[in-house]
Amino acid sequence: MGRQRLLWLSAILSVIPASLFAGAAVEGHVDLPKSRSAPVQAKRYEVVTKAGVLSTQPPLAVVYLEGNFPRPASLPTKQVEQKDLTFVPALLPIEVGTKVQFPNLDDQYHNIFSYSPAKRFDLGRYRPEERPIPSVMFDRPGLVTLRCDIHEHMRGLILVLSTPYFAMTDTAGHFRLDKLPAGRHTLKAWIDSRTTREKSVDLKDGQTLQVDLP
Amino acid sequence: MKMQLFSLCIFASTACAFDIDDALDRLDSTLTISGFENNFRARLSGTVDLEYYNFQQPAPGLIDSQIDNLFNPRLTLFLDAQAGSQVYFFAQARLDRGFDPSDHGAEVRLDEYALRITPWKDGRFTLQVGQFATVVGNWVPRHLPWDNPFISAPLVYENVTAIEDKYAPPSPFYFIYAPYFQGKYSFNPLIWGPSYASGISISGQLGRFDYAVEMKNASLSSRPESWYITENGFQNPTFSSRIGFRPNEAWNFGFSGSEGPYLRSEADSALPPGRSISDYREFVLGQDISFAWHHLQLWAEFYEGRFEVPNVGNADTFAYYIEAKYKFTPQFFGAVRWNQQLFSTINDGYGRKGNWSPDLGRIDVAATYRLTTHAQLKVQYSFQHETTAPGQDNHLLATQFTVRF
Repeated sequence: MGRQRLLWLSAILSVIPASLFAGAAVEGHVDLPKSRSAPVQAKRYEVVTKAGVLSTQPPLAVVYLEGNFPRPASLPTKQVEQKDLTFVPALLPIEVGTKVQFPNLDDQYHNIFSYSPAKRFDLGRYRPEERPIPSVMFDRPGLVTLRCDIHEHMRGLILVLSTPYFAMTDTAGHFRLDKLPAGRHTLKAWIDSRTTREKSVDLKDGQTLQVDLP
Repeated sequence: MKMQLFSLCIFASTACAFDIDDALDRLDSTLTISGFENNFRARLSGTVDLEYYNFQQPAPGLIDSQIDNLFNPRLTLFLDAQAGSQVYFFAQARLDRGFDPSDHGAEVRLDEYALRITPWKDGRFTLQVGQFATVVGNWVPRHLPWDNPFISAPLVYENVTAIEDKYAPPSPFYFIYAPYFQGKYSFNPLIWGPSYASGISISGQLGRFDYAVEMKNASLSSRPESWYITENGFQNPTFSSRIGFRPNEAWNFGFSGSEGPYLRSEADSALPPGRSISDYREFVLGQDISFAWHHLQLWAEFYEGRFEVPNVGNADTFAYYIEAKYKFTPQFFGAVRWNQQLFSTINDGYGRKGNWSPDLGRIDVAATYRLTTHAQLKVQYSFQHETTAPGQDNHLLATQFTVRF
């Protein structure tokens, strides 16, 4: 009788997704660099000048768990908007195979392009009403720098990762990653194109590990 | 010259092989400063241009060189600064061999500086004071090497005519035939490049219309020496304006006008008795159109010009160009431009009529490869044909390597 119960329990457990269990979690803090100087828009030959200061987006980091994890069949589409002559968000982490749309929310043309080895593309000039919304599929891991051929000051970043386990820090550098697989892994924090910090972590189901990446 | 060409190639391939993007992005951050909680911010940027020209004599356009192969390096520095949301300042300084390509020695100039006040956020009104490019036409916003798909300017901005701003012709005969026997740098085009003259402008946007009016110290045809406030005051100002209509983001239509004296003070002594340089004016009417959609961009400008010439009368001209640019890949684009300028006929005083400058047409073809987001290599070929003068056809081959930081 006891053996039969055990078999039933084993069968039930096998059909429940692992994600329903708490899994492991990591939280901690990443030391972020100082805020950069806000960009200056070159308006030398613009007949129409609208008053306004470009917004400053504070530095953030992307924390991710490195490793070979199974890839999902489909990934949700993400967006990077062009609004008030800036990319919003300025930094977007995505998993390999994610499609990103670039809606133009300004009342003028934008021309998004990238020469980054991870993805070279040029969307050409398009209006706010452009449908379908211009989009790009990012199929290789790496850092993609977004620029606008019309507005020299515009810069955006897409960090294409091979892992589904990643999170952005808040502006103070705090982060939390949930539902992680147990085992030994490497936790990395991407700070900028030249700085990535890492630590080995031993994750156990149901535990929250405290990790700081100074 | 071969050594210079070799250096150009080495520089280009080195920049290509070495990914300079990241380094130049960091330099950009270093050269950008801000303070007072980001209410004041300033950025120093620039370009390094290495140009090589091969042409036939007489050199085409405003190129001032007696040799057929010209190496023309240029360093351009820009300062853009913003204080709050309503005050903007910019300046442009250059180290090169002259404002136009030449075989002269090196010189440093402050070509542009301007203070701009924008009181309202919606852009209805902007006031600008300083030395800056003209508001006329639609070529100015793309005249710098990184934005211009060609190395040279459109014909109307660089084709020297029989107009002399430092001397008054004594007769119609002299006016028509003297240009063949003098150095061309004595003469003027209808519009001299971007015309960085000194003055004041107001501009703004009202719905789908935009407007710009400027008062400058020199006419559109004036040579660069006349643009400086230290050289040329406001005794004989030129007034220019442009009204633009943008039905949507793709199309832009503009109508321009300009009027003002074009002679310099050196011409005063050669004027007819009782006349002054303010009696001889340059009138320009312009129409421009542009279109952009995805990877295609089109521009065209049409100009009707009139010079009141001492001892001659009115000298009229019509010039236009049509330009197309297409981006074939993210890093490679090509451009083609057809230019033409036609001149009226005047009586030479001996019973014969002749064009006051030779009618001519020119086709420009150019290709640009962006090696990185900070470096590009451009090649241009131009063929110019004069239709009403004994002048020979002219072939121009030019290359330009630009690093932007």
